[in-house]
Amino acid sequence: MAEGIIETEVDGIRTVLAHRPGPVTAGLLFRVGRADETLATSGITHLVEHLALHGHGMSDLHYNGATAGTHTHFHVQGGDDEIVEYLNGVCASLRDLPLHRLETEKEILRTEAAGRGAGPQHDMALWRYGAQGHGLTSYQELGLRRADATAVSDWARTRFTRENAVLWITSGTLPEGLDLRLPSGSWQPLPPVTSALPRTPAYIKGDDGVVVLDAVVRRSTAASVFSAVLGKALFRDLRQKGGYSYTAESDYTPRDAEFATITAVADSLPAKQDAVVGGFVDVLAALRVGRIEQADLDAARTAVLKQYEIPDLAAAKLPSYALGLLTRHPVQSDEEHIAELRALTVADLHAVAREVSANALLKVPGGEADWAGYVAAPSDSAELLTGSRHAYLADDTAALLIAPEGVSLTSPGNRVTVRYAECAVMLAYPDGGRHLIGNDGFSLSVEPTLYRMDAADLARIDAGVPPHAVVPMPPRDPQRIPGPPPERDREGRKDRARVHATPASPGSPASMWVFGVLAFLWGLVALVATSEEFDSTLYAAPDWAFVVFLWLLEAGLLFPVVTALRRRRRVA
Amino acid sequence: MSSTPPLSRPVFDPFAHHPSLATLRTACHARDWGTVSDFFAALGDEDERAYASSVVADLPGSEHLLEQASAAHPGDPLPRTLLADRYIRIGWSIRSNARASKVSEAQFGQFHSWLRRAEGLLIEVCAEHPAYALAWCHRVTTARGLQLGASEARRRYDRLAEHHPHHYAAQAKLLQQLCPKWGGSWEAAEGFARACAADAPPGGNNGALVAEVHMERWLDLDEGPDAAHMSAHAVRDELLAAARRSVLHPEYRPGFHWVTAHGHFAAALSLGRHHAEAAPHFRALGNMAGTFPWTYLGDQEAAFIKHRKTALAKG
Repeated sequence: MAEGIIETEVDGIRTVLAHRPGPVTAGLLFRVGRADETLATSGITHLVEHLALHGHGMSDLHYNGATAGTHTHFHVQGGDDEIVEYLNGVCASLRDLPLHRLETEKEILRTEAAGRGAGPQHDMALWRYGAQGHGLTSYQELGLRRADATAVSDWARTRFTRENAVLWITSGTLPEGLDLRLPSGSWQPLPPVTSALPRTPAYIKGDDGVVVLDAVVRRSTAASVFSAVLGKALFRDLRQKGGYSYTAESDYTPRDAEFATITAVADSLPAKQDAVVGGFVDVLAALRVGRIEQADLDAARTAVLKQYEIPDLAAAKLPSYALGLLTRHPVQSDEEHIAELRALTVADLHAVAREVSANALLKVPGGEADWAGYVAAPSDSAELLTGSRHAYLADDTAALLIAPEGVSLTSPGNRVTVRYAECAVMLAYPDGGRHLIGNDGFSLSVEPTLYRMDAADLARIDAGVPPHAVVPMPPRDPQRIPGPPPERDREGRKDRARVHATPASPGSPASMWVFGVLAFLWGLVALVATSEEFDSTLYAAPDWAFVVFLWLLEAGLLFPVVTALRRRRRVA
Repeated sequence: MSSTPPLSRPVFDPFAHHPSLATLRTACHARDWGTVSDFFAALGDEDERAYASSVVADLPGSEHLLEQASAAHPGDPLPRTLLADRYIRIGWSIRSNARASKVSEAQFGQFHSWLRRAEGLLIEVCAEHPAYALAWCHRVTTARGLQLGASEARRRYDRLAEHHPHHYAAQAKLLQQLCPKWGGSWEAAEGFARACAADAPPGGNNGALVAEVHMERWLDLDEGPDAAHMSAHAVRDELLAAARRSVLHPEYRPGFHWVTAHGHFAAALSLGRHHAEAAPHFRALGNMAGTFPWTYLGDQEAAFIKHRKTALAKG
């Protein structure tokens, strides 16, 4: 028990209180979040949170709800009456969800997702964990379309229970009139930790203009102080000294009771991004070999100690204290924490630096980081399944392989396999399009218009994927259904030729093939035509305008292919 | 400097130019790390160490001594840094100096693999000893070979220049990166060479970078325009002014780099048909010649003899 914090219970919910003058703040935490879902149910926790708050839509009260990786938080500030009304309302809704709002709230969630920008670190989790557990925070809420009234009610009844909750209120006593009855259930252990990174330190290719590093380390005072020291070292090197970056910082966030994630980010102009990668690597290397400034440690320590000087310390600590109870992270007393901070040495930070370096996942713009000792994260599947072969219509060196245990997609230099037993989700469109994502994060699209396959082949896939992984999708805009690729002049293919107005967008694998074949064919035409232009028996002098035109068109066709090849990587 | 008769055949052997280097070679062959280490410790400045490092890197088999020494002296940056230079040299000999289009994929694979080994050692040395010039100097080369980008090569040079602002060897390496053949521009390369020359204290080697960049440009131009470029009055005047502040300055003290520095002025002025102006450099050189720049002129020995003869006849 920490100083000034009173522990009690309300309707079977573990509750912590600490007095603070002025308006009261309160929070009701549940041990359920996005990492507890599957990709096929992804979004269901957020949906319950929205439904629980629906009744408060019109009030002026300062309140909010947030769905994080491992917890959901209902949060409010106001007078005693308002707190009581809000918390009672949330619990009443959780007991009896306003399911008539289900479709409306799903629509709101989809709108919210569309407006939410993805930060530069949004895809780090999927590369580290795959399309499951903690990796799900990288994904869209793909399971919303599958979440029906039964599924949502079941989720609320089993996860939003009194045993799986902690309440905190910045007040010395409980406000009158609380009615927080919730179904009884059990505390939910933290989700299992999965891995999609066979070797670390690893790197992935990122977009221009930003370098991101994350690492999972044991939770400790040393690790949180190390993160501050890392941020300071990056800022000093990349911004103050080099002038390459505007932002250079590091963050420490607990992941579960035992581990935390350190995430460091540095931005740059594209012209300077190579220097930012190099500087980033060097800053980390300096910390790894133990070149850590005592002054940096002292400054970071002082900043943490300052937090103990604020008034009403116990109340300020309540949310993180409550979260500690919820995740069963051993709670440290102030004295213990202060003593640990004071005792912290450069050697302690050095140990964390080695942990970070060994475990790091680095996202570098454009290029590679193997030169710095980082290994490339897997960019294709380890295996191809043996099954019936369904050639890509435009080029039979690419094909789908449909096997009893899953589907593979093979093309020269590329292979992706999703096993049915390891299928995180299959998005199923009424037109026959299927998008499968494996638990390891690899995905492939089955577009019947693009492969030599028929309805029976598609039915085999549909039968193979476990029903709990299937998300039925609404009809697609006809413009977004890929048309068949242009045919090579081969017998037996004409019957499938169906001209479609719009090719797939440049950059998609389908269009890569479309443009690739066109570029190849046009290249032959251009080559022959050019050689004729230079043949003095045919023409007195080459028509330069014509030759330039031929090759400009070729360049235009090659461009999307090259772009697509460069971009080819796992996609969330 | 030279005491040999000026018109004898040129000698391209660095051990003949600098007899003291024989100690280094003997020690490397005998796997006598103590003497190697003492040799580097006794050198007056970082540029001298960079030259001596290249001498060790050129000795076949020196990696065995350096690997042993690195293991035996884990806290000492010198053996790892020399080893990295040796790895770079092994890698580059596989790549060859041919244009990228003439180098096979397998050659590039091995080249990059040796450079990554070197870079791993250098990252560690620079992390431990951020002011250690020799390691940063080699990292300018690894950045170029591993194609880590112009801004990264520049960052490495800047980290070196922070502590050693007039490091001629590193400046010459960065100058390569700034040339169009490695993705740079003439504007950047010439600007850098001029700035290095102007900022250096009088009597430094740095002025020779002005001659080097004009040699690079000459090599890049087609026959005809190349001669026109070198014979231009502006180029001549710039070369003469740079030489006066550098190898011809009264305070110039010839170290290991002097054969290269004089050689660049001698070659650049000769190619512009400023033979009389080239003469002082040939007189200083006598029969000593470095592979650079003379290999740029085709048959290095014939080119040296021909231009020396003309220069000494006119000046």
